[in-house]
Amino acid sequence: MSDPPVFELGDKLATRCGNTLSGTFLPNNKMALSAYRHKNTDAFGKPEEPEAIRAISEDPVLIYIAEETSLYGEPLLRSLLAEANTTFTTLQKLDQKAAKAEFVNISQAYRSIVRACLEKLELAKATPEVLMDEQRLHCTSDAITTFYAIECLWQLFEILYIQGLQKQIIVPQLLDWTRFHFPLTEGRATDLLLMAEEASDSDDYWSTLKTLIMLGEVGVTAAILTQNRKANRGPFEAAINMLKAMPLYQHGYAMQKFCSQWEFWRAEGERKIAANMFAAEPELEILMELVVGNTEKWDAGLAQSNDWYEFLPGYLLYTNPTCKPFELRMVATAWLNRWSRVKPDWEMKSMSRMIMQLMQHDLKMFLYESQRLNDSHWFATHLIDLIHHSGQLNAYCQQQKVDLPSLRQSMLLEFGSYLMTSLNLWQLGIDYLDSCGQEGYKAIETILSHIPLKSERLSLKLIALAKQRNLADVEQTICKVLARRCYDEQRFSSALEWAIRSKDPVLVNGITDFILKNYSETGIMLCKDVITYIGARMFISPRLVFLCKYFEFYELYRKRDFLPAAELLINLLDSKITPTYFWPSLLMDSLPLLESKDPKLFSKETITILRYLELELEPLIERNKRETAEFAFQTSKTVLRDYRVENIEELVRMLRYACSRNLARTFIIEGTASSNK
Amino acid sequence: MFDVEPILADHKDVIHDVVFDYYGRRMATCSSDQTVKIWDEDEHGKWKVASSWKAHSGSIWRVSWAHPEFGQVVATCSFDRTATVWEEVIGDKVNTTTTTVPPTRRWVRRATLVDSRTSVTDVEFAPKYLGLLLATASADGIIRIYEAPDIMNLSQWPVQHEIANKFPLSCLSWNTSTYMVSQLLAAGSDETATPTGKVFLFGYSENARKCVKMETINDITDPVTDVAFAPNAGRTFHMLAVASKDLYIVNIRGFTDSSGNSKLDLQTVKFSDHNCPVWRVCWNMLATMLISTGDDGCVRIWCINYSRQWKCAAVLKAEGGGPTYEPTLPTPSLANTASATAKFYKKGTIGNQVPWH
Repeated sequence: MSDPPVFELGDKLATRCGNTLSGTFLPNNKMALSAYRHKNTDAFGKPEEPEAIRAISEDPVLIYIAEETSLYGEPLLRSLLAEANTTFTTLQKLDQKAAKAEFVNISQAYRSIVRACLEKLELAKATPEVLMDEQRLHCTSDAITTFYAIECLWQLFEILYIQGLQKQIIVPQLLDWTRFHFPLTEGRATDLLLMAEEASDSDDYWSTLKTLIMLGEVGVTAAILTQNRKANRGPFEAAINMLKAMPLYQHGYAMQKFCSQWEFWRAEGERKIAANMFAAEPELEILMELVVGNTEKWDAGLAQSNDWYEFLPGYLLYTNPTCKPFELRMVATAWLNRWSRVKPDWEMKSMSRMIMQLMQHDLKMFLYESQRLNDSHWFATHLIDLIHHSGQLNAYCQQQKVDLPSLRQSMLLEFGSYLMTSLNLWQLGIDYLDSCGQEGYKAIETILSHIPLKSERLSLKLIALAKQRNLADVEQTICKVLARRCYDEQRFSSALEWAIRSKDPVLVNGITDFILKNYSETGIMLCKDVITYIGARMFISPRLVFLCKYFEFYELYRKRDFLPAAELLINLLDSKITPTYFWPSLLMDSLPLLESKDPKLFSKETITILRYLELELEPLIERNKRETAEFAFQTSKTVLRDYRVENIEELVRMLRYACSRNLARTFIIEGTASSNK
Repeated sequence: MFDVEPILADHKDVIHDVVFDYYGRRMATCSSDQTVKIWDEDEHGKWKVASSWKAHSGSIWRVSWAHPEFGQVVATCSFDRTATVWEEVIGDKVNTTTTTVPPTRRWVRRATLVDSRTSVTDVEFAPKYLGLLLATASADGIIRIYEAPDIMNLSQWPVQHEIANKFPLSCLSWNTSTYMVSQLLAAGSDETATPTGKVFLFGYSENARKCVKMETINDITDPVTDVAFAPNAGRTFHMLAVASKDLYIVNIRGFTDSSGNSKLDLQTVKFSDHNCPVWRVCWNMLATMLISTGDDGCVRIWCINYSRQWKCAAVLKAEGGGPTYEPTLPTPSLANTASATAKFYKKGTIGNQVPWH
C-alpha cells in the first residue's frame, strides 16, 4: 500500500565495511543490531583485505539494542492499561444478543477511562517533577496528544456506529461532540456571561459570538445578547427572539411537524434579514445571516476555523437539522470540498482524515489508520474487539471483505503478547491472549516459559498460571530450569525438590546420581531434609526409589536399629535397582553388620551378600583394572574412584572374611535352634 | 520510532553472531577476533560483559545457547575446524566473615568436537524434546549430530548421525515443532556453481533408524547463507525463512502418504524487497515478525498481518546520521559499561508520530 518507514542508525563501522547490518530479535521483541560483513564458505580462510582491518581498528564495534518507542513508560498509563483490561474482560462475557445499551455502556466505560487518564496526565504535566524531567515531559505530552485524539475519535465512532441511531437525527450528538473537543469558545462565552453588560465592549465580543453560533450554541448566544447594552433596542430584540424561537427537535416529536415548523422559522428569519431589520447592527446581521445558513458568511467563518469538521455540526443545525447518519457521507464530502476551496493550502492531518473516514463510512481505512497511532494498538485492539462483539458492522465487513474475527484475533494476539513481553504486564496480557483461541493458547505457552524466573515467588505464580490452563509443559520447563539452576549453585536440596516436581526422570536420575556418588565418595548424605519427605513421589525414577530406600537404611543404621536395617540392606541388594557405582559402598555397608558378635544377618542372607560380591563387585574391579591399565597415563574416571579405591583388594578380602565368620556364627546358632526343636 | 541503546562491544573485529539466551537476559557474541563474550543484562537494562575469552584459533562464525534446563551451556563453531561446548561453572563460594562475595563464574571447555576436516560453519542445539543434542554443519558438506548422553556431565559428545551432502554447507536450523514431522532439520549451501536446489530438509526415518534427507527445495537455486525455522505458535504447518539472493519463506506441511511414510509438502514464497542478496534471517519469539539482513545496507522488519500475508513494516539503515557514538577515551573500567541512550526518528511521512491538531 505504501512504502515502509525508514529509520537510520548511522553506524560508522557498518557504513564503512560492506554497509551491512544484521539484526536479531530478543524474546521481548527488542532487537539487537550490529555491523555485519558476510563471508562465503569458500572464502573462509582467505586473508582479510587490509582496508577492512583498518576500518575496524578505527571504528568501535557496537551492538544496538533497539526497542519500538512506547508511551507506556509513563506510569500513569499503566493504570489505563489495567482499567481497560477490566472493561475488556467484562465485554468478553457479553454475547451478540446482549442489548445495544450494554455495548454503549462498554464504549462509554472505555472513554471514561481515557478521559480520567487524560485528566491525570494533565495534572501530572503541571507538576514540577515532570516539568524538570525533559524526557518524561515529552512522554507525557505525547501521551496526552495521542489519547486526546483517541477520545475524540472514539466518541464520534460511538455516535455513528455503536449507539445505533441509523434512523434518528444525529445533529444534537454531533454538536455535543464538537463542543467537547473545541472547548475554548465555550470558556470565553462563560467569561462574557460573567462580565454581563461590560462584555459588550470586549474586543472579541462579536468574534466569540460568531464562533458560538457556528458551533450551534444558540441558547448561549441569546443569553449573551440579552446582556448587551442595546439589548432592548429593536434589532437586538428581534435577534434574541428569533434565536429563542428556533424549533429544536425533541425525542418523540413528529418529524413532519418539526420540519414544517423549522422551515417556517427559517423563512421568517430570511424575510427579516431581507427587510433589513438588523441593518443598523452589521455584526448582529452577520450572526443572523449565519443562522439562516448564508453561504458567503459561512465561508468567511470557515476561514477562521481550526479544522474542517469544527463547524460542520453547527452548519447542519441551521441547514439540515434532520440529517440522518446515512446522509452524513454526502454532507461531509460536500463540506470538505467547500472547506478546501476556502483553505486551498490546508494539509490534511491524520486525525482529520480519520474523522473524514468515519463520517464517510470508510471504516476499512479508518481501522487501518487507527493501527498507526503510537499507542501500541491500544485503541485499535479495543475498538475492533468492541465492533466484533456488538456485531453492528457485520454486514459492512462482509461487504468490504474484512475478515473481522481474524482481524480481532490478530490484534488481541499482538496486543496481549506486547503487554506480556515488552511491558512485563503479563497478568494483564494473558487475558487478551485467553480470548483468542488456539493461537493465543500457544502464545501463552511460549511467553510464560520465556519469562525470566527472577524469584521463587514469581516462578510459583507462573506455575499457577500454567496449571490453570493445563500447560503441563510450561510447568515442567520451569521446574527443570530451577532444578538445574539450584544444582549449579550447589543448593542440592532445592535442586532435588524442583527436579521431583518436574517429574522428569532423566533430571531426577541425574541429581540422585550426584547425591549417591557424593555419599559413596565422602560419606556425607546430602538433602536429608528433602529425602525424608519424598514419600510416594519417589516412584518417578527407580534411582530415586533406591536413594529413598537406602536413606531409610542409613537412618535405621544411624539409630542403631540393626535388625530392620539388615533386612532392608538385603532387600536393596536383591532389588536390581542398585546403580553400578554404588555396589562397593552398599557391600561395605554390610561389613559392620556381618562382624556383629550377635549376628544380624542369617546364613541365607550372608550367602546373598557373597553372591553379589562375586556377581557385581568382582567384575567391576576387573573392569576398572583393565581401564586403568589401558589409560594408565590418564586419571581414572571409572566408577571406583572413591576413597576406598586404593584399598579395594583389601576391602574385598575383609568382606570375604566377615562373610565367612558370620556364616560360621549363624550356622552354629541356626543349627542349635533347629536341633532344639 | 525506536529507542536505541548502543553497547560498546569491545570486539576487535566484526561480530559474526549475536545470540540471546532463552530468557533474553544473556547475550553471547562471537567475532573474527576469535573471542566469545557473554553479556548479562542488569536490573536497569544495562548490558555488561560477564565473561570474555579466546575460544578458538580462527574466526568464530556462530554461537548457540542450550536450553536453560541443561544449565548455562553454549556451543561455538569456527574456521579452525572445530566446534566447542562451553559450560559456565560457579567457583567455590568465598566465605569471608564480614562480606558475602558473590561466587565467581567462569566458562570452561567441556568438549571439543574435532570430526570436521573443514571449517565448521554453523552449530545449533536441538529443541529440548530431543534431549541435549547438537548439530553442526561444515564446509565439507557434512551434518553431524552429537548427543550428550549424561546431562550432568557434558564431557562426552558421541556422534549420533552423520549425513553427507554434495555441497558445502553454510547454515542449518532445527525445527522446534513436532507437528506431523519429528526431528526436522534444514541446511543451506552457498555453493555458487550449480543451478540446483540449495536448501535441504532432513528428518528421522523410523525405517532406516537414522536421519535422512527428506526433501530438497528446488525453488531456491541461488547460494543460501542462512536458514531459520520459525518457532511454532500453534500453526499446523512449519515456516522456514531462507536468506539467499532474495528472502524466501517456505511453508512446510507434514503428511503421511498411503504407504505410511512421512512426506513434506512445500510452498515457497519469495520477497524481493531487498533487491540484493540477503545474508541473515531471524524470527521473533511468536513468529509474528522476521528480520532480514540484506546487502543493501538495510535490515528489514517483516510482520504478518491478519490475513497471514508478510509485509515489510520497517527498514533500518546502517548509514545516515542517526545516533552518533563518541568513543570515550579508553578507561578500562568504563569500557564495558559505556553506553548512551539515543533516539532516532524515522524519515518519511507515514508513521506513528502523527501531528494532532
